[in-house]
Amino acid sequence: MSRIRFRASQFGRPREPSPSYRYAARRPKKFLSASTPTFPPLLNIQEGAYPFNSQNMVKRKLGALEKVEADLPNLQHKIRRDPKSYVEDFRAQHYQYESHREIFMAAPSSATDTGIISLRELLDFIAHVADCYPDITKDFGHQLIDMLTQHHLLLEPELREKIVGSLVLLRKKELLDSATLLQTLFPILISTPSKTLRALIFQKILMDLRSSNAKTTNHKLNRTMQTVLFNLVTSDRTSSKGLWAIKLTRELWKRQIWADAKAVEVMKEASLAENEKVIVGGVRFFLGGDKEREEMEEESSDEETIDIGRVKHQVGINKKTKKKARAIEKAKATVQRRERKKNQPHPLNFSALHLLHDPQGFAESLFSKHLQSPKSKLNLEQKLMVLQLVTRLVGLHKLHILHLYSYFQKYLTPRQPSVTSFLASLAQASHDLVPPDDLEPLVLKIANEFVSEASASEVATAGLNAIREICARQPLAMNETLLQDLVMYRKSKDKGVVMAARGLLSLYRDLNPEMLRRRDRGKDASIGLQHGEKKEKRFGAQEAGGIEGLELLEKWKEEERKRKRAEKGLPSDAEDDEEDEEDENNWDAWNVEDDEDSDDSGGWIDVQSDVEIDVSDSDDEGSRPAKKAKQAGEDETTESKPETKLPSIATTRILTPADLAKLQELRQEAAVNALVPGFKRRGQTTEPRYKDDALTAAEIEGLAALSAGKATREERIAHAKEGKTDRSEHKSVTAKRKEKKEEQGKSTTNKEKARKKNFLMTLGKAKSKGKRSLVETRAVLRAHQDRQKRGGRKGNK
Amino acid sequence: MGASQKRKKEKQKDFQKPKLKVGKAKAKPDNFTDTSFKSKSIVLNQQSLKLTAPSTTTQFTHHLSLLTSKSDSQRRDSLAHLTTSITSRPVSSPLPQPVSLLLPQLLPLLLDVNTSVRSNLLKLLRALPESDVADHVSQLLPYIRAGMTHLAPDIRLSSIEVLGWLVEVAGEEVVSCAGGWVKTLNCFLSVLGWHSEVSSKWTSASSAGSSNSTNRPSFGKAGAKGRPQVKVLSVLADFLDAGIGTPDPSSDVDSADGEGSGGASFPIRQFRSQMIPQTAAPYVYLNLFGKPRDEEGEMYETREDRWRVFEGRFLGAVERGVAEARAEGGEVGRASAGVSRVLVEARA
Repeated sequence: MSRIRFRASQFGRPREPSPSYRYAARRPKKFLSASTPTFPPLLNIQEGAYPFNSQNMVKRKLGALEKVEADLPNLQHKIRRDPKSYVEDFRAQHYQYESHREIFMAAPSSATDTGIISLRELLDFIAHVADCYPDITKDFGHQLIDMLTQHHLLLEPELREKIVGSLVLLRKKELLDSATLLQTLFPILISTPSKTLRALIFQKILMDLRSSNAKTTNHKLNRTMQTVLFNLVTSDRTSSKGLWAIKLTRELWKRQIWADAKAVEVMKEASLAENEKVIVGGVRFFLGGDKEREEMEEESSDEETIDIGRVKHQVGINKKTKKKARAIEKAKATVQRRERKKNQPHPLNFSALHLLHDPQGFAESLFSKHLQSPKSKLNLEQKLMVLQLVTRLVGLHKLHILHLYSYFQKYLTPRQPSVTSFLASLAQASHDLVPPDDLEPLVLKIANEFVSEASASEVATAGLNAIREICARQPLAMNETLLQDLVMYRKSKDKGVVMAARGLLSLYRDLNPEMLRRRDRGKDASIGLQHGEKKEKRFGAQEAGGIEGLELLEKWKEEERKRKRAEKGLPSDAEDDEEDEEDENNWDAWNVEDDEDSDDSGGWIDVQSDVEIDVSDSDDEGSRPAKKAKQAGEDETTESKPETKLPSIATTRILTPADLAKLQELRQEAAVNALVPGFKRRGQTTEPRYKDDALTAAEIEGLAALSAGKATREERIAHAKEGKTDRSEHKSVTAKRKEKKEEQGKSTTNKEKARKKNFLMTLGKAKSKGKRSLVETRAVLRAHQDRQKRGGRKGNK
Repeated sequence: MGASQKRKKEKQKDFQKPKLKVGKAKAKPDNFTDTSFKSKSIVLNQQSLKLTAPSTTTQFTHHLSLLTSKSDSQRRDSLAHLTTSITSRPVSSPLPQPVSLLLPQLLPLLLDVNTSVRSNLLKLLRALPESDVADHVSQLLPYIRAGMTHLAPDIRLSSIEVLGWLVEVAGEEVVSCAGGWVKTLNCFLSVLGWHSEVSSKWTSASSAGSSNSTNRPSFGKAGAKGRPQVKVLSVLADFLDAGIGTPDPSSDVDSADGEGSGGASFPIRQFRSQMIPQTAAPYVYLNLFGKPRDEEGEMYETREDRWRVFEGRFLGAVERGVAEARAEGGEVGRASAGVSRVLVEARA
């Protein structure tokens, strides 16, 4: 305790940095007060602190850090910097924590924050520095777990949250493994009545799962967690606790952390539960989970765009600080990450509906459990959702459910609430392997109930649209007389009905024109019939499979060949051997990166601009210009030729990666072209719909919005505004430029400043100007002249 | 110009004084809110209008409840009041509230920020009947230990004083209750900075208290000339004496008495051990309802047990510390003599 002893220690061990020495350097005043008894004014304790030393009571000067009596954050900071020297302090605090814990465990419900330091702060402190002293704190995690699991009902909220936070912190510091953490938190999540705690724990669990799957997929952890969730859902089917499993799975599915069959299995079990909320949660997942995931993906990909050039430029101009340097590093890293992501192949993700193990069994049990059984407690909306799922499964996997179609029978009346959803579901449920005998009565019923002169136009529209959708999937469900009858509705006065009937007409022109009356068939279809191309598809007939867009590739190759030959000056369609030349190219083509040919378009997609606009399928074709008709005829003839021969390219040669890349490009181009209005040619009205997409009630309602007089003013305004991009108010170009300048925080010109100057401020000058003496005026004028010569106030040298 | 004049006038309008007229009510301000209401009856829930002054018991309870007050002086005054009412009560009359009800209110105050509150608390504790305190040692000890390792040196010191009082009052219970021996000794070592590694590495530094930044002020208040450490050492000596010192002659006589009488009469020897014990919780050692205990939290009921544990875990550290303290000389050295005397006796 004396100076001499301290020095002895210092000289005795010159090499080792004594903590006391360092300490003294950091806090000189305290060091003095501790070790030199020769300065009495510094060295006294607080008045009245100790009854037994009341001899010298001069007020002690306090160091800045001493004033705070119990400064855990300060200690924490010091421990972080030098854990070895502060081990004793930490040990003391650990004992402190132990005793507080003892007090707490004796009476968990009583208030814990007594005095200056509460258990909560101690927990926080120890959790933050636990990684520095793993041997002292080896039980800490388990003590926390005990505290939480045993007393989470009684704990005061703040302490509870602190314990959860500390556990997560320990997990971050790798002092606790994920499995233990999740096994602790999950039961509490399910059982606790506190909403805030649930929210907190849910968030923490999610975060932990995300972080442990961040670098590589942690299969083991995922499997255990999925098993836990699966058991939660299946153990008690009537309880609503399964909701947590659903929430967690859905969130992780959305973020593509869980994308395997097991997660889907959890959801499948959830949708077969007995609690309505759980059922709806499960069904919703199947109906919307994939879309959600896609949206999430898009969202993350188009975050903020970083212009690296601009950032660099700014750094060149502005003051160079560490922060700016870091910002540029970060921007570079982001750009790099994005580049890498762009080059990565799209992750092979299957939709939840495809990952189901036994879709037939699932659909059957869903149908019998929730829809058919009289015991089902679902309301109409929920039932509709289940029905939607069932029918999607049926349509997607081409399943057969025995009583599904007869189930629809009683719901197909215009008075049924949300009947359009039923119609959409029915259309979804039909596929080409459904026996026409099952569907025909339904189609007939729809026609009878919905489509009549007496019924409202919306009703008729919906009925016609539904029939069209069903028949698009199973054309055999329609008989000739009914079709001819329905097609007559294109003469209706209502536009929605007209459009729907035309849709049906063009569908059958494409699929089976023989069923139409001769004059309804249209030109293309009649020609097709004469050539014998358009034949009725038999029940169950399958088309030979092929590679999508292969004919595009073939066409492109042909053109390329012609072009090359034209360059060489050879006749374009000579059939001489160029195999050897092609062989040379072929080996290059196996490597996509080297191949310039496929990259020449550089991400640009050609969009045809000069195609004629041709939308209508109306039958007044005769009034058209003859030239156009002739052109179309030529198209037909040229097109009909290649169709006769099989696409040979896939059968004659092996497609190289370069070929596949080109194929992809062509496909994309075609898809974009298809979106451009006017490109649609006759006979291509029914573009192949993506099979995975659901059919919605809105599509069945169709163009009912077009029905005259039904739209309110607001709706019409909204409809008119739909296509237009929103532009701000009309302004002059100068005003816009000025605004832009102001937005960017740029300064104004002197002229502008002068114009904007407050009127009152200019008054004084104006007044004094009139009162100047001759001498003053002269001086001013001279000064002005001088300035002009010099070129401004600062001079223009 | 015209517009600005007009605006000026409008602004001034707000600050013009309304004219008061005789015989008319004052005009209500614009933002006046009518807060009057009508009610059929008025019920006064709580009103304590009494002619007599509150009795001493009610005052006692009232002050007991005031112990959780936010204000320091309030807590201090209430403690003082409780102390006086306990000490001034007629002899042989019971406490206004039993100790078991008092302690939960009092114990958190061991960690109170205010020094005078803590010193008043000690006074109050001293005023409590000794026999009652002995039953609640296991309740007291965690708080004392929490105080001993507190970050604030003042609190450490005052809780050492409380421990001194407790050892004095119920030494046997202190050392033999669950966790009372090992945990408390650990706390002592940490207060003194005698924990093995550090003291071996930085011998003198640790005794100067500089190994632990926050420990230092407690020892290092040179104005006290090592008094805090003296105090700690003397309490440690008492504690060790209670734990591993030679058995008290008085209790010896007592047991010898029992044995003697047992031996004189019929074969029933040591009949005391056959009888139901007279302590408050005789079967605590069975630990029927608590959690399983580890080595630190275990009860060490006999002197031999305690010595064994002490020898295994603490002896080296304590001896080293005592040697250092003696080398320091002065009051600290003298105080350390007490500890070493106990050690010597225990070894013998």
